[in-house]
Amino acid sequence: MTNLGPAAVPAPRWGSGLRAMLPRWSLRLAIGLGLIGAIALFGVLGSLFVGDPNAVRDAGLTPPGGGHLLGLTQTGQDVFAQLAYSTRGSLEIGLLVGALATVLSAFFGVLGAYAGGVVDEAFSLFSNVMLVIPGLPLVIVIAGFVPPESRGAWTIGLVLAVTGWAASARVLRAQTLSLRNRDYVAAARVAGEKRWRIITVEILPNLLPLLASQFVFAVIWAILSEASLSFLGLGASNSSTLGTMLYYAQNGFALQRHAWWWFVPPGLVIALFGCGLSLVNFSIDEVINPKLRSVFRVRRRDPVPPAEVRPAGENVVVEVDSLDVVYRSDVPVHAVKNVSVSLRRGEILGLAGESGCGKTTLAYAIARLHRPPAEVTAGSVVFHDRDGTGTDVLHLGPDALRAFRWDKLSMVFQGAMNALNPVTTVRAQLDDVLTTHRPAMTAADRRARCAEVLRLVGVDPARLTSFAHELSGGMRQRVMIAMALLLDPQVIIMDEPTTALDVVVQRGIVGEILRLRDELGIAVLLITHDLPLLLEIADRIAVMKDGEVVEYADAGQMYRAPAHPYTRELLSSFPSLTGARGAFLRAGQLEGSR
Amino acid sequence: MTTLETTGLVKDYRIRSGLRRDRFRAVDHVSLALTPGRTVALVGESGSGKSTIARLLTRLDRPTGGEIALRDTGGRPVPGRAYRDHVQMVFQDPFASLNPFHTVEHHLARPLLLHGRTRGAEQTWREVLHLLDRVQLRPAEDIARRRPHELSGGQRQRVAIARALAPGAKVVIADEPVSMLDVSIRLGVLNLLARLQREDDLAVLYITHDLATARHFADDVVVLYRGQVVERGPAAEVILRPKHPYTQLLAASAPDPDKRGRAPAASEAGTGASAGRPGGCAFRDRCPSAMVVCAGAPAEEPVGDGHTARCWLYGPRS
Repeated sequence: MTNLGPAAVPAPRWGSGLRAMLPRWSLRLAIGLGLIGAIALFGVLGSLFVGDPNAVRDAGLTPPGGGHLLGLTQTGQDVFAQLAYSTRGSLEIGLLVGALATVLSAFFGVLGAYAGGVVDEAFSLFSNVMLVIPGLPLVIVIAGFVPPESRGAWTIGLVLAVTGWAASARVLRAQTLSLRNRDYVAAARVAGEKRWRIITVEILPNLLPLLASQFVFAVIWAILSEASLSFLGLGASNSSTLGTMLYYAQNGFALQRHAWWWFVPPGLVIALFGCGLSLVNFSIDEVINPKLRSVFRVRRRDPVPPAEVRPAGENVVVEVDSLDVVYRSDVPVHAVKNVSVSLRRGEILGLAGESGCGKTTLAYAIARLHRPPAEVTAGSVVFHDRDGTGTDVLHLGPDALRAFRWDKLSMVFQGAMNALNPVTTVRAQLDDVLTTHRPAMTAADRRARCAEVLRLVGVDPARLTSFAHELSGGMRQRVMIAMALLLDPQVIIMDEPTTALDVVVQRGIVGEILRLRDELGIAVLLITHDLPLLLEIADRIAVMKDGEVVEYADAGQMYRAPAHPYTRELLSSFPSLTGARGAFLRAGQLEGSR
Repeated sequence: MTTLETTGLVKDYRIRSGLRRDRFRAVDHVSLALTPGRTVALVGESGSGKSTIARLLTRLDRPTGGEIALRDTGGRPVPGRAYRDHVQMVFQDPFASLNPFHTVEHHLARPLLLHGRTRGAEQTWREVLHLLDRVQLRPAEDIARRRPHELSGGQRQRVAIARALAPGAKVVIADEPVSMLDVSIRLGVLNLLARLQREDDLAVLYITHDLATARHFADDVVVLYRGQVVERGPAAEVILRPKHPYTQLLAASAPDPDKRGRAPAASEAGTGASAGRPGGCAFRDRCPSAMVVCAGAPAEEPVGDGHTARCWLYGPRS
């Protein structure tokens, strides 16, 4: 990210804001769209080509064949012609209700959430009341009250829309509540934008995928509900839908007379259309929540050849040799390139670099925590135990790996203080690690060990009975370090352990890390972007840039004489607290478009 | 020129936990003055009320008490409607403060039109390009048509700075403008802010938790602890010769390669997490030099030229 001149930036893509909101092409989406398209086409065009669906013929209840593709009904009407007209009727109702329900839910959900206060309470209460009223019975009651002669498609559509918007309104409200607190909404307010403009121009476009999904859902719901209503004889009197078809089939005893051609086609059309819409909705959901995207299959490649486990050098505990890690995405990203570092006992090895330089990927690969699409393509990671045996970490079996992690090597993750379970006590969570990894330990031993590790990180063991929310951020981070210490590991990997904390709290945690190193002889791999911090506390430092280690040296030497230009650039980015005032700003004449 | 002055600014938040209603004072009688051509750094840990002050000054929230007075060149108070012509903000996270749906042009053209700086599409487009050029985003025509996700973090923050300048603002509130950026980009963005300030004679409130940049970037430093100003004065004075025990702790805690090999500073003060007893000095639970008098509220005491500390160590009784 250091050299993003205009040339390095991709050319502008027109309409990419909208394009980012379109679902990604997939088999699921193709099948869904295919089903919807075929059925819609059949409904719209089919009714133009088939004959009169209500023409009565002499022949009653004839199976398919003889000029009638799907046979005849009891009264000799052509089933295929009826199916075409009914499909059109159902689609019309579906679209009508979908549009109405979406408008209603957007009104109550979005407006209420943005306005907040009393309006939100009132709108929210109203949607909740509408939500707990059971939909279909209400529809039946309302539809039953309207006299059949005035029960047109619009009436039914209105009744269905009124009973069907509430669930969407709640979903939209939740999303709007989150969007209205975004900084860009605050920025629009500071700029002086009017309320209605903030809602329509700033918030609504970002709700589009959700609105589309709610619309599709409403269409499915409407078609099914209308079919149920019509089947019960409460549907629109002036239109024919798939539901009315089923109603007549039922009244004509189609089931008892094995006239499958009469009731299966309309049922099948409903099912397939619903299926198509659901498939489309799955794809829209992936836009709303990209995590749902299925990880594409990674072809198993030839594994990295087993490492040759050589006897360790002086006190080396972890040895990384020419490691390559690649993210196999559409455009493979070479995140770690030919990295060789070694970690000695009782040493703090600093790994410095900016976001995207591969430092976290490297740490994950060392602990074998990398997941597809990340893949180690070359190199080796060897762990040397206290007794001198070497372990090829990249070739450990699942059980051996589980035993290795936490027991020999543990990790403290970025933002780890938010990783504590909020509903159980600190002791329960520490205890859990011991019961899993040390089944032989007695409860009393476990309790003693939990208290001991807390004391090691400077937390009063009385805190064992506390819940996470009762501890400050710094205290929670100490508990996480205590958890990493439970099994007396030889190596701890810490990924930005103090980034989210204030300097005073950071100072405390750093003090604990130094003490653990001195007292227990633990080797620490400390990952951070804060080079001055590393220069102060680390023994050796590896500076990473674009996946490569550009400088790997003793910390004191790096501070006195940084060799690589990038190290110098990083160092100059941190102003000295005590240097001459303004020197930093004057020195920074490299104001480019970076 | 425009000056923004607050006197006794208070912001209370109501917390409801079950049936109990509580009050949390996020900002406690803060008085600040922002004058043209000067940068005031507001320093404090998270939760000290820095961002709340920013929200009050930009009128995103209403203060519970106290006064915010904005005066124009002639010393006349600026009426409410025109407030936003004068006071603008740069948000912390450039990834969140630009709407992902809209182009860079939209983000700059809207404030220009809203505040009547330009009329018509052509004049607006020219001004958008001019603004982009001022924040060194070139080629401007190309950048203007992009959407936020096509820009790097540093470029986004430059767009956010251009947006703040678009209404012709004379007071800029910068809420941790570089803390979300990669370290090697920070310098460039800070330099840009410093240059724009010189060019436009802006009054800048630089909110940060980083003492080092506060020292180099600001003229005055105001240290906030639990909503209260505990120390204020010229930047070099406050940071090189801190008087309040909290500022001393902050300065001692900053990473410093020169401290290599020396024993880490006592971390006892860092573990203090108590909610703070009501009344008295807010820092006394963590303070290494707490005394009996600290149970009473200290006042801001002068400790040097334009330098004050809210601490009994410098009070009349000691």
